Amino acid sequence: MTADPRALAELLEESQDLQADALRPTHDALDELVESNHSPLEDDPVVNRTFHDEHVRSLRASLGATSILGAAGGVALVGVLASAAAASSSGDVQILQTAASLENLAVSTYKTALTLPYIGGSAADPVITKFSQVTMAQHMQHADAFNAAARQLGGKAQSKPDPAFVPVVNKAVASLGNATAAQGALGVVGLALELENIAAETYVKDTVLAKSTTNKALFASIMGIEAQHVSVLLAVQALLMAGAPQLISLAPGTGAALPAAAGSVGFPNSFYKTNMAAPAKQGAVT
Amino acid sequence: MIKRKKQTFEGTEGELLFMTSELDELHRDVGMPAMRQGVSDMVDAMETGARSTSRRTFLLGAGAAAAGGAAMMVIGSPSLAGAATRRVVPARSLDAGAFPPAGLKGDLAVAAVAASLENLAVFAYTAGLSAATAGKLGPVPPAVATFATTVKGQHTEHAAAWNGVLKSNGKSAVTVTNPALTPTVQADFAKVTDIAGLAELAITLETIAAQTYQAETAKLKSSAAIGLSSSIQPVEMQHIAILYYVLGMYPGAQTSSGTPLAFNPTSMAV
Repeated sequence: MTADPRALAELLEESQDLQADALRPTHDALDELVESNHSPLEDDPVVNRTFHDEHVRSLRASLGATSILGAAGGVALVGVLASAAAASSSGDVQILQTAASLENLAVSTYKTALTLPYIGGSAADPVITKFSQVTMAQHMQHADAFNAAARQLGGKAQSKPDPAFVPVVNKAVASLGNATAAQGALGVVGLALELENIAAETYVKDTVLAKSTTNKALFASIMGIEAQHVSVLLAVQALLMAGAPQLISLAPGTGAALPAAAGSVGFPNSFYKTNMAAPAKQGAVT
Repeated sequence: MIKRKKQTFEGTEGELLFMTSELDELHRDVGMPAMRQGVSDMVDAMETGARSTSRRTFLLGAGAAAAGGAAMMVIGSPSLAGAATRRVVPARSLDAGAFPPAGLKGDLAVAAVAASLENLAVFAYTAGLSAATAGKLGPVPPAVATFATTVKGQHTEHAAAWNGVLKSNGKSAVTVTNPALTPTVQADFAKVTDIAGLAELAITLETIAAQTYQAETAKLKSSAAIGLSSSIQPVEMQHIAILYYVLGMYPGAQTSSGTPLAFNPTSMAV
């Protein structure tokens, strides 16, 4: 974010070029992954059983979370998804597809948010607008990376958003229809915050679930980025709730004007939790 | 360029403090038990070395260390040592070549390095707070003071977690700052004259820590160790985001020229 939207737009353009370069070694690594992951063990019943058990545990933990999105699937999903997981041939493909579905959902949510006057319109804070644009572009890149990894393993790319969370997001967006600009901005920030946190927690968990070291590295390279989105959104949310939107700025001197509490609101836990992580197969291509 | 009138939070500070208090309570209720369970799982999962400490003893030990009970040794650091409030034991024979200590292999060696990085962060924030309190860094924004105090506490908990793993495997806790990085941090800290300079140094330390944890994710053998490392990396990344925000820069991973990054690199990992 910057006080000068034009400057940030230039940064975004540079970033996209840079990321294209940065992804090249990732694709090279993915080639290596294909070789290492196409082993006879992939369809080993014991391996699949282990993944299935891990999946059931993560699914129950996720659905036990107390957020609107965490409860989206409902208890009925446990049996359906858990039984289907046992038939999977590659755990890594599933978690990569689920990750892509979370990224797709984030992209569509930011895209919709940017059509709202208080996020992407003339009435919007330019810093929030640019943050949304940069973040949306990063989620696109994450989706591409996850899908590339899934395809390299013989899986299909996931082009759809996470099915369990879509109705909840749609409902949340619809509820913004009659909101004031202040209410609407808070609503969007709250929704984005929840999506970012689910993504971050999911990828933290995926670094353990993933079988290949390349996929572990991919998740690890993205989980912190999502956590940073969370951090920024927590700070923005706090400033909006405190009625101080003028401090959502990167202009010189803003840091000195921030209240004491702003120095800690962006990182509430010493250890990142995973109880909101999406179930491993929730967004897998069926 | 859009100029906005700067205002302080008069009348709303209480609201923000309330929110922070809620988050802190959440951390105490959920975060710490989760950390203890995670580290305990790691202890159970690791098969290297003898376990002279029971799981229960370890949990008690980790809690004590998190409370700041351990003394810390800083490797040859007269300038940092002078600013610190912690007890500092002068370096004797330890150097970068002797670290991690002999006898630590695999995941335990990684735990030792991680603890030493966390110790270095704790010491740097301690020194920074000391210098700021002494008026050596000019005006200190309230958010910066809160940041440094809170982050120092989180790094202390991270160090305690890794040391808990070491102790539970019959190894000594690492109470030194990372030998390879300490001289550089000392030199950089000696050049710090204001809060912005301190924040930039903090970004460097946080970036090294985050990228090291990230790189280790693909190298660690134990799932529990991977889980612990992965639970810390995003928190260090969050520290970085807020530091950038306070400095008026894009609040996320970026290149040296400030270009945002969608994928965090590992070029600064140790």
